[in-house]
Amino acid sequence: MQPPIPVPDPLLLPLPPGVLKALLTATFTLHLMAVNLAVGGTILLACHAMLGRSQDRELLRRLGPILPPALTFTITLGVAPLLFLQLLYGQFFYTASVLSAFPWLSVIFLLIGGYVLLYRFVGGGEKPRTFSGLLSALLLAGVGLMLVNVSTLSLRLDAWAAHAAASVHGLRMNHTDPTFWPRYLHMVASMVAVAGLFLAAWGAWRKVFFAQSAGLRWFIGATLSQLAWGPWLLLKQPAAVLEPLLAGTSGASLLLWGSLACGFLALFMAIPASQEGAQPRAVWPPLGLAGISVLGMILLRDQIRDLALGAFGFQVQTLPHRTDWFSTGLFALSLAGLVALLVLLLRWANQSVQGEERP
Amino acid sequence: MNHPVWDIPFLGSGWIIGLISIIHVSIAHLVVGAGIWLAVMERRAQAAADSELLAWLRRRAKALLWLSSIFGAGTGVGIWVAIGLVNPTATQHLIRAFVMGWAIEWVLFAGEMATLVVFVLAYHRLRPNQRVIVAWLYALCAWLSLVVINCIITFMLSPGQGWTTSHAMWDGFFNATYLPSLLLRSSVALALGGLWAQAGCPLEPSLRSRILRPSALFVGGGVLAAALSGWYYFQSFPVPARALVLGNLQGSTGLAQGFRWALFGLGAFLVPGLLALWARLSPATFRRPVALLGLLLACWGFGGFEWIREVARKPFVIREVMYSNGIRVDQVAGFQKEGFLAGNAWARAFAASKGDTDLARGEAIFRAQCLACHTREGYRSLRALTASNSPEDNMFIVQGLRELDPALNPYLDRMPPFAGTEQEAELVGKYLASLKTQ
Repeated sequence: MQPPIPVPDPLLLPLPPGVLKALLTATFTLHLMAVNLAVGGTILLACHAMLGRSQDRELLRRLGPILPPALTFTITLGVAPLLFLQLLYGQFFYTASVLSAFPWLSVIFLLIGGYVLLYRFVGGGEKPRTFSGLLSALLLAGVGLMLVNVSTLSLRLDAWAAHAAASVHGLRMNHTDPTFWPRYLHMVASMVAVAGLFLAAWGAWRKVFFAQSAGLRWFIGATLSQLAWGPWLLLKQPAAVLEPLLAGTSGASLLLWGSLACGFLALFMAIPASQEGAQPRAVWPPLGLAGISVLGMILLRDQIRDLALGAFGFQVQTLPHRTDWFSTGLFALSLAGLVALLVLLLRWANQSVQGEERP
Repeated sequence: MNHPVWDIPFLGSGWIIGLISIIHVSIAHLVVGAGIWLAVMERRAQAAADSELLAWLRRRAKALLWLSSIFGAGTGVGIWVAIGLVNPTATQHLIRAFVMGWAIEWVLFAGEMATLVVFVLAYHRLRPNQRVIVAWLYALCAWLSLVVINCIITFMLSPGQGWTTSHAMWDGFFNATYLPSLLLRSSVALALGGLWAQAGCPLEPSLRSRILRPSALFVGGGVLAAALSGWYYFQSFPVPARALVLGNLQGSTGLAQGFRWALFGLGAFLVPGLLALWARLSPATFRRPVALLGLLLACWGFGGFEWIREVARKPFVIREVMYSNGIRVDQVAGFQKEGFLAGNAWARAFAASKGDTDLARGEAIFRAQCLACHTREGYRSLRALTASNSPEDNMFIVQGLRELDPALNPYLDRMPPFAGTEQEAELVGKYLASLKTQ
């Protein structure tokens, strides 16, 4: 039976789909980096606060204040990919969100709750409010769960009709989808791993070996857990996705194996860099390799979406467009203005002040 | 509705948008006004070398960051989530039409957050003149963000002939209600920003007058300008929209009651203007709860105006382009000829899930065409509205709703025409009759 795919909107795209996809990928990459820092960082610092040693508390004191602005930018940077996603894949995204409406709506409350608790967590002064931190991490990780819920459902067109019939009020989640849990666990582990790398990089930069070592251990532990979530996620993909991935000749396959190779190499290089006596510079190679691996995975994610939707006849490249040069130019100009503004702000914000301790 | 329908019993899905919007719209306008107020006051305090006031301003900026980043951004995401759930078809149409506008607004939003974060967190690293520049850049980004979003809000009320033929973004951007709406929103922002400053005024007598007097100018000026530009805005409404508002002030329908509440709100919006006089003339006796009351009244008033603007679009979600149930005006004739079920995959899927009986098909069409504004039992309950009808009456009424001539269809000024064949109208009539026994 043909899945009930909504009719595409008749208005033309203002740019070729390829350009819009590039914008989607670029802005999503920025968003994901902020997510890793804010949410992954909250998970890490909440755990360190729970451990409660003096070095853990020092980490919280120095790095905690970064988390709320990081979350601010997570939200800000999340707007653009959501916009381009709705533009290109709106038929699928909206359908999935309506079918799981209440869980999707809960994103607002999870986000606001997690944000308030995060401020409470890092604003505790000498006495860390560990419970607030843990709860904040839990709520923010819950936002990720809702995103995975809608993302996986938006690719399972064959399951839509049954899902709708099972819950006409949109109460049901997509948890019976075989890719749901491995995808979520894969995402959480990635957040923790990248946040660990950020922590290690800060430790190497500020010559704080405890942070370097702890960050790399977080990275190693989380990446090792991917040995479980990764194959689980891969093998649960529908045939239309799995076959090209395993074929070894497609672009998606190259991205998968290339990213995995970089990830493994980063893992092996991180182990000696986390040991006592390791030089700060030992952090940079695993950081670079992991960065390449993450970028590869982001591109792979996009390929998987197109493979999954392609099985139902949707080809994003075929969406009709009429280039709106003036609006695009104005957007490019405003983007250049923003970059200039950020450069200016960063310069001003980094002016040295006597006697001030930097994070 | 081209997409599946989010069926919320009793409350109806529209209220989900309403509840989130009331909070977001108030905060979004408040932060614009508060940004301008912060920049003006920072400059004044620096010029007067007023360290006490500067310290208070920094605390206020921190509170603004909290409000803006947690609740402003959170509810902003919330509105987007809500409109996508309640009317995904219209949301997708608006995104297609204005994606570059939205992208520019995103850039401005990013600039807004970056400047505010730097102002608050790098306060001591910024030189005094840099602080003033950053504060003004924040205010500018926040206001420009309003300048862009204002186009999409006003477009929905008055897209204009130019856009409907060209579908070019800029033809819809500067539409007939754009300027009056921008003036109104900017004025409201100033008033809310001033009230927010007053609501956070400290108890120290020496500091009170230095905060309350300039803030009172924001509130008083903002309220006065909002009253004038609000009138100008209302005069710029498309004629049918104005007629709908004025016509509905009479009578005892739910809509008329809503309009009366909104009008009380507009009256309440003027009260903070009077309170501003008190703050200006006698700052020593002005108290924080009074400012909070003024802030609540202003939010009620502005919320009332927003409600009127939303309802004035009826029966459209984008005037003359798309009806409130997500059916485009240009689709109606086709659905009336070829059938709604034939052209709507989700309605067919719903009917199939219930055995594809007449009643199931009637309910499927009812969900897609009626639930945007009605509920079965609850807000604008169709069970209550059709309680005294016979099954034949229901069929006759839905058949009548197929008419596209206003002389033959008296509901056409507030309700979309029925977009289906005569047989489908019968199916909906049967389903409406079945509500009595459910």
